[in-house]
Amino acid sequence: MNMIVLGLGNTILRDDGVGIYVARALRERVGCLASVQEAELAGLDLIERLNGYDRAIIIDAIQLEDEEPGTVFKMRPDDIRITARLASVHDIDLVTALELGRRLRFKMPEDVVIFAVQAEDTRTLGEGCTEAVERVIGPLADEISAVLSGAPHRPISISLADRRKRRA
Amino acid sequence: MASGKAVDAVYKVKIPAAAAKLRELYYMAHYIHSHTAHFYALAAPDFVVGPDAPPAERNILGLVDKVGIEIGSEVIRQREISQLIQQMVGGRATHPVWNLPGGVTRPLAKEDREKIRGFVPGLIAFGEFGLKLFHDLVLKNKAYLDLILGDGYELVTNYMGLVDAKNLVTFYDGTVRVVDPDGAEIDRYAAHEYLDHVAEHVEPYTYLKFPYLKKRGWQGFKEGSGTSIYQAAPLARCNVASGMATPKAQEAYEKMYTALGRKPAHKLMAMHWARLIELLYAAERLGELVADDEILDPNVRVIPSATPSEGVGIVEAPRGTLTHHYWTDSKGIVTKANLIVGTTNNNAPISMAVTKAAKKFITKGGEIREGLLNRVEMAFRIYDPCFSCATHSLPGRMPLTVEVKDASGTTLNVISR
Repeated sequence: MNMIVLGLGNTILRDDGVGIYVARALRERVGCLASVQEAELAGLDLIERLNGYDRAIIIDAIQLEDEEPGTVFKMRPDDIRITARLASVHDIDLVTALELGRRLRFKMPEDVVIFAVQAEDTRTLGEGCTEAVERVIGPLADEISAVLSGAPHRPISISLADRRKRRA
Repeated sequence: MASGKAVDAVYKVKIPAAAAKLRELYYMAHYIHSHTAHFYALAAPDFVVGPDAPPAERNILGLVDKVGIEIGSEVIRQREISQLIQQMVGGRATHPVWNLPGGVTRPLAKEDREKIRGFVPGLIAFGEFGLKLFHDLVLKNKAYLDLILGDGYELVTNYMGLVDAKNLVTFYDGTVRVVDPDGAEIDRYAAHEYLDHVAEHVEPYTYLKFPYLKKRGWQGFKEGSGTSIYQAAPLARCNVASGMATPKAQEAYEKMYTALGRKPAHKLMAMHWARLIELLYAAERLGELVADDEILDPNVRVIPSATPSEGVGIVEAPRGTLTHHYWTDSKGIVTKANLIVGTTNNNAPISMAVTKAAKKFITKGGEIREGLLNRVEMAFRIYDPCFSCATHSLPGRMPLTVEVKDASGTTLNVISR
């Protein structure tokens, strides 16, 4: 299976760069299991980047209300209309990008998983993440590596359904 | 680009000619990329699919269904090429770390120049295609033409934009020119003089300020002769200038004003037309820059030697005149900054345009439909597909609510996105 791992973010805005940092940590772990790429893109630009892959894992920062920084959410495209980059009104969202790519006969991945890391600070100019977010970079890279290889693992990520149960 | 020019000024350094050309080359690719997204992904569905079409169809997917897969693919392809050019020139397509005080980090590689030259004919053809699409699908459709020429989307203000020495539209460098609603020049300034010419009004209900012409003073949200409100966006740039600096864009510019019947044009929906003319200009200008042998000059940076202090940089961002003003300590650490972002210039015009559209389309006793919400939103969308850059707010959705009240203030209806 042809797989891409795409880390999204901006590495000069603290936690906004977490997707990029996880992708970099993954490179050493996944070898030839997947193409690991970094991008500061969204919307229409994702079509070309995802074109030709059967499966995609996207890593990005998220800011949900009342969540602890460093919490990792595992989502599907339909869940992500709540993230800023992947659901920007400045461009088209990921769901629309995937659908548009398919209609334009690009080969869009059928299986898309998003790992979204709760950010603490995405507005301060600076490299490197805050402590709580920095701590999950390695464990999240381990989880994604295990997902790709099919190895047994104890996930650090939670689904949005789990989040709802936890908050109920 | 504005920040790059501002730090040049902070360090009091004049950058080499090749560096200025490389920055402009990068910027033309950025314009193609930005204007393509604004028009095709966010604005064209209103015209091609229809302003009253259901939201589920009135989007880029509906657009592709209407215009066909080949055209949709070409939009994606040319946009990707413009991203690739930015990456080749600046190292990264987005957030490049390439502009430095005194120039840029690296010269253009010869092989990259040849690749970019190969892209030029396709980019120019894409620019021409956009205008043809606008002509065939929008201008030939009476209902859409009425929408453009009608009084629902009209705002009579002053206009601001960067011009070159011949008063032609320019994006990277020039002087800021302001004309009144009749086209007479009422102001002109260099970047470092902006505080003498522009001031910002504050309202208690928003933290986004309302820039206005300082010499005229704040006169409220009033349009017409004597107003201190100005617009700064594609149509404003065309209104301010005497023309475009490239031949095909100039031809399109003349056609637009002939059709609109007057200059400055106050018909807001012509903003999309002007945007497409600018897209063509950016493609032509990109071709000129990459054909210039100086673009390969390895001398792309002057190491600054002056003690940094204060500087202003101005460019035309796709959505309006962009001003960056930095104050630094003697080590170059920023101690204070002031930004007037493209869309911020248009805050008052947007508010007024939305008000006028609402008054036009909400009629006494009339049914309030989702299409109405869109017609009001269209007045906003001509300036900017969202407010995120201007407000630094990223809600991830269009937080739009229309409340309809009667004369006594009683809420009759609420429609939310």
